[in-house]
Amino acid sequence: MIKDFTSIKKNISKETNSILKTKKTKVFDSLDDVLKTYKEEYKYSPLLRKVSKKFDILRVDSFKEKKKNIDKKILNQYKNQYSIITINGLFQKNESKIPNGISVNTFDKLNNTDKKFFHKFFNNQDDSKSDIFTSINTINYKESLLIKIDKNYSKKDHVNILNFIISNSGESINHIRKLIVSNQNSKSVFIEEFISLDSIENFSTSVTEIIQEENSEIEYLNIQNDKNNFHFNSINISQKQNSISNCFTFSYSGALVRNNLNVKLKEKNCYSNMYGFYALREKSHVDNHTTVDHIDENSISNEHYKGIMDNNSNGVFNGKIFVRRKAQKTNAFQSNNNILLSDEAKINTKPQLEIWADDVKCSHGCTVGQLDKEAIFYLQSRGISKEKAISMLLGAFSEEIIEKIENQFIKEKIKKITYKKLEYFTS
Amino acid sequence: MLEIKNLHVSVNNNKILKGLNLSVNKGEIHAIMGPNGSGKSTLASIIAGRKEYEVNQGSIIYSNKKLLELSADERAKQGIFLAFQYPIEIPGISTTNFIKTAVNKIRESKGKKPLDAVSFLKVMKEKMKIVKINQTLLSRSINEGFSGGEKKRNEIFQMAMLNPKLAILDETDSGLDIDALKIVAKGVNKLKSKNNATIIITHYQRLLNYIIPDYVHVLIDGKIVKSGDKNLAQELEKKGYDWIRA
Repeated sequence: MIKDFTSIKKNISKETNSILKTKKTKVFDSLDDVLKTYKEEYKYSPLLRKVSKKFDILRVDSFKEKKKNIDKKILNQYKNQYSIITINGLFQKNESKIPNGISVNTFDKLNNTDKKFFHKFFNNQDDSKSDIFTSINTINYKESLLIKIDKNYSKKDHVNILNFIISNSGESINHIRKLIVSNQNSKSVFIEEFISLDSIENFSTSVTEIIQEENSEIEYLNIQNDKNNFHFNSINISQKQNSISNCFTFSYSGALVRNNLNVKLKEKNCYSNMYGFYALREKSHVDNHTTVDHIDENSISNEHYKGIMDNNSNGVFNGKIFVRRKAQKTNAFQSNNNILLSDEAKINTKPQLEIWADDVKCSHGCTVGQLDKEAIFYLQSRGISKEKAISMLLGAFSEEIIEKIENQFIKEKIKKITYKKLEYFTS
Repeated sequence: MLEIKNLHVSVNNNKILKGLNLSVNKGEIHAIMGPNGSGKSTLASIIAGRKEYEVNQGSIIYSNKKLLELSADERAKQGIFLAFQYPIEIPGISTTNFIKTAVNKIRESKGKKPLDAVSFLKVMKEKMKIVKINQTLLSRSINEGFSGGEKKRNEIFQMAMLNPKLAILDETDSGLDIDALKIVAKGVNKLKSKNNATIIITHYQRLLNYIIPDYVHVLIDGKIVKSGDKNLAQELEKKGYDWIRA
């Protein structure tokens, strides 16, 4: 484990923007405090211990980048779709295709108004209560992106955010950082993927801050499907009144993946949906930690995570709901359902509620079970093989989450990936 | 078609079937009657391929094959069909999708091409009429929220779609009102042919007013103790099972 962080101080001194420098220094100064919370927060997922053994996680790479190319075959899969592309955390403007009404720029390219705007929202949190990997990301990212969605934007087409990771150039540690601002009355859909282009173990962190102005709606999906990836992902959403967020996390593989999804419902009448589905085999380990914070009254949060664990895989779910004193008339629901397919597979699940208001409706619960043998026999008795029966039943289990995706194109895409994965599960 | 010889079966060391013999030929309808706990459903399950049972002795030959060596899905592919006493609800899989998969898996095993969507729908519409089941019901998840009668009709509908050689109806009449009973019986009669056979398992003689069996067997304490024609069923209805036990 790391105890001494002085080596990353160098990186802060390289920061030329004085406001960012102050912010980063504050983050650095609270690292020791943040580390104290690590033990409890990462009880079932020793990410820091594992990655610090394999990678020099505090290493600072050079800011100047060589040009890298992505195989056209891979990009062709996303042909005719809007895409924001990064390679090892660096924005690839020429490869990206961005719709009118959305602007994407790295911090250096922002004009003064946008820079002010960026400062206002960037890393706007209590640093001492942060997460150790978020802090490392804040200090060590090479480039940060500002994605701005204009007022009244409402294109139905989704925008891919494709984060390619190329490790064979010697960079197996990457930090991806972005700030998304969803302006008033806008409605947008993003689907984010992390794709390693070589089968070398790598470590990446991704921190996405999403600011939702009044009446805005965002659907944000995350696909994780890389067995070589040690990955930390944090999505932090802050919602103003009458805004809606729909977050989905789909995990199919990962050496050790930790997802932090934090939603703050800061004003009245907000709506937050948090959905997740994980289907894990072999030694994959995926940890979903979510927090929803009801700060003002009359908001709704709805959370449902489902997972399947086979072989030696490991799942973790931890969901926290906070309902503050002022947040009367809150509705908050949370549930987590799991299927274990082998004796070695594991799930640690923990729903948590903290309520200070008195006029609220909250529920939470979790289940862990196995496939119903009667159902398998029923399908078999109609001529369907046991393997096919199992994958049909697992598919049915996933359906409840996938059906919640509003965007039809993405729903079909996720369905296809999911059913393909489930063909390999046995019981 | 089906030849069961000296079959001994147990579950968790409880002996249930104790030397059962039964022979079923093409074109025949056999009724198996008996009191609760006599082993009727065990017999149905063992033919269909349920795994929880232990065969201690005896054999089942079906179309010249050793049936007990086949898995449940292989048996279905060979033409065996079990209409369940308690059809299970399976959320998330639509009945239509499920039957389509089943039909095509069985076709595949016979080296036939899968039915395309249009031909499948045509066959389905035809068979739906037989048991008076509607499209809305079939687009729902398997048996989910179905009434008792709808579940049983769905079983007979699946039977119609899969066109089995040997169908076993396990207490298909239980929980049915008289109208539903008639619909189910009509369906079974319609599906009957020279080339297939049916085993009807039932408590009561009632269903046998509508489906006339060629043979009636009385199963008591794991053995067939008496066989006869349809008149045996009527006699049982009048006198009860104690008449045979005594």
